[in-house]
Amino acid sequence: MSEGTISAVVGDASEAGPGGTRALLEVSDLRVRFARGDREVQAVKGLSYSLNAGRTLAIIGESGSGKTASARAIMGLLPRTAEASGSVRFEGKEFLGLSDKQMRAHRGPDVAMVFQDPARSLNPTMRVGPQIAEAIRAHDQLSSKQARDRVVELLTRVRLSAPERRFDEYPHQLSGGMRQRVMIAIALACSPKLLIADEATTALDVTTQAQIMNLIRDLKRDLGMAVIMISHDLSLAASYADEIIVMYAGQAVERASTRDLFARVRMPYTEALLDAVPRLDRPPHQELSLVSGRPPDLSVELGGCSFAPRCPAVRDDCRAAAPAFEEHDPGHWWACWHPTGEGT
Amino acid sequence: MLTRIMNSAIAQAVVRRLGQVVVVMLGVTFMTFALMNLLPGGAAIALAGPNATQERINQIRLELHLNEPFLVRYWHWLSRAATGNLGNSLSSGQPVSHALASRIPVTVELVILALAVALLLCVPIAILGASRPNGIVDRFATYLSVAGLAMPNFVFGLVLILIFAVRLHWLPALGFVPLSHGIWRNLRTMILPVAALALPLFATFLRVLRADLIDQMYGQDYIVTARSKGLSRRRILTVHALRNSLFSLITLVGLNLGVLMGGTVLIEEIFGVPGVGQAMITAISLQDVTTAEAVVVIIALAVVVTSLLTDLTYAFLDPRVRYGSDSR
Repeated sequence: MSEGTISAVVGDASEAGPGGTRALLEVSDLRVRFARGDREVQAVKGLSYSLNAGRTLAIIGESGSGKTASARAIMGLLPRTAEASGSVRFEGKEFLGLSDKQMRAHRGPDVAMVFQDPARSLNPTMRVGPQIAEAIRAHDQLSSKQARDRVVELLTRVRLSAPERRFDEYPHQLSGGMRQRVMIAIALACSPKLLIADEATTALDVTTQAQIMNLIRDLKRDLGMAVIMISHDLSLAASYADEIIVMYAGQAVERASTRDLFARVRMPYTEALLDAVPRLDRPPHQELSLVSGRPPDLSVELGGCSFAPRCPAVRDDCRAAAPAFEEHDPGHWWACWHPTGEGT
Repeated sequence: MLTRIMNSAIAQAVVRRLGQVVVVMLGVTFMTFALMNLLPGGAAIALAGPNATQERINQIRLELHLNEPFLVRYWHWLSRAATGNLGNSLSSGQPVSHALASRIPVTVELVILALAVALLLCVPIAILGASRPNGIVDRFATYLSVAGLAMPNFVFGLVLILIFAVRLHWLPALGFVPLSHGIWRNLRTMILPVAALALPLFATFLRVLRADLIDQMYGQDYIVTARSKGLSRRRILTVHALRNSLFSLITLVGLNLGVLMGGTVLIEEIFGVPGVGQAMITAISLQDVTTAEAVVVIIALAVVVTSLLTDLTYAFLDPRVRYGSDSR
């Protein structure tokens, strides 16, 4: 596999010249294990992808599919009980295995993150301004006056009204959407090259959701950031992502550019996710199809395809051996023995 | 608008506490009266001395109205106390308020120093422990707090006297020098009683603060945000987690003030510190009900007032309370 050779060749990083097309982020065979008492849960089982500067990648999956764990592993923000292995290279530099202290320098200026629940992600006892200012001053030597100016500039940038006044307000005085704008301002504080939005709009109402996603899209364009959006919402990914990875049970099951994916979905799981989204072109009051069953127990190794127990198109050989995740069509990867749309 | 919410919240807290004061005062003064009444002998026998005649004792009884029924005596005391007159000491005949006036600052100093020592020691040790859970500092701190909780403070006080006064002769075992004689001479006599009084407080505070800090550090989303900014662990712990953990610490201080006040009674007696606690012990041995009641009133008032103060501190520190809350 090509990912294997990339992580094996160490000299590769220094040789790639500036302005080359080398990926900003290369993730290969990423694995995340959680210790749950005496059991071990494999949250991510060998995820590989690469992301170029300025591009948006969506990682889609249900809760427990490993999408959030894979994103936190990039920044070294996994809980104590988790352990990551494999390789995460950012601009050629290996992130996995760095100490917390070494990793600190990369959090902010290289990679930043916006989290799911803005009500719990801000310190309730601290004013908003200082929470943004400390993100700047952790990396840049600025006077408090300079930091304050920069914070107001950031608050303006995330289109928060009355930024001067917001500086001295507490998180509970802001609405959910405003808090998430503050979170984005924190993430932008050191102009990161990669922004990870981990279910950044899940806790918000639909109108606010669109505003926040448009804001992230515009900021990405203006600042030239790459974005990884973690979501369970395929339709949201369709509107904002260049490329989509669908994860199931800790593994990628389908990956393609957004256009190719929606032109021809190959993995039955992706199709099931799409069917679960309400659409206007369907007759009203028709029952939505749900992805029946529940995600597998990740502490138990399954023999065959991990989606087989829930798959509507399952056949006998699906339970015998797991299909490999491979590039079957140019630019289109999937892991399925019997992909949909294959003349049956 | 905001200040009005704030004022009404504070006004409500004050009114609620004042209601409590009345109930608490009636309860503790009645209990004290009843318990003192159950003691064998009586104030007159104690006052008359070991060789007094029965006539002398009867005469004292009459003078002090000790022959009247218990409830009548309590009512007399209560109706006078309600006007602010705590009566005369049954043993000395002097007004109780005069005798206690000089003792109150001594006890206040003892309590404030003990509280300050416990807080100043517990915060850095809890931070060090929480920065490396189950590390050397953390384990040492845990042993220390278990030991502190297990040992009664008067036993610890006697151990301190044995080591620092009897063996090493570093500090006086007994006695007190007032603040007016110089701060260092005063502090020298206060070190041991303050240490004895502070130990169980320190142990309780340390235990809870450490647990709360660890809970914040490993369970709260805003800590993950702080880490994602690239902040140092030290800053996350001392700025973010500590700020939120202080609330449980303040609650704990409020809850332990009563224990602290009660602790002064024995500690003052052991170390010969002339505070209100010592006056209490003397009053009980002389069956001097009025003095004992006055001390009980002072301690109960102090507990109620300080717990009101902790409530207000809490309100002042938590912006969600201070500005009226729309979340949680």
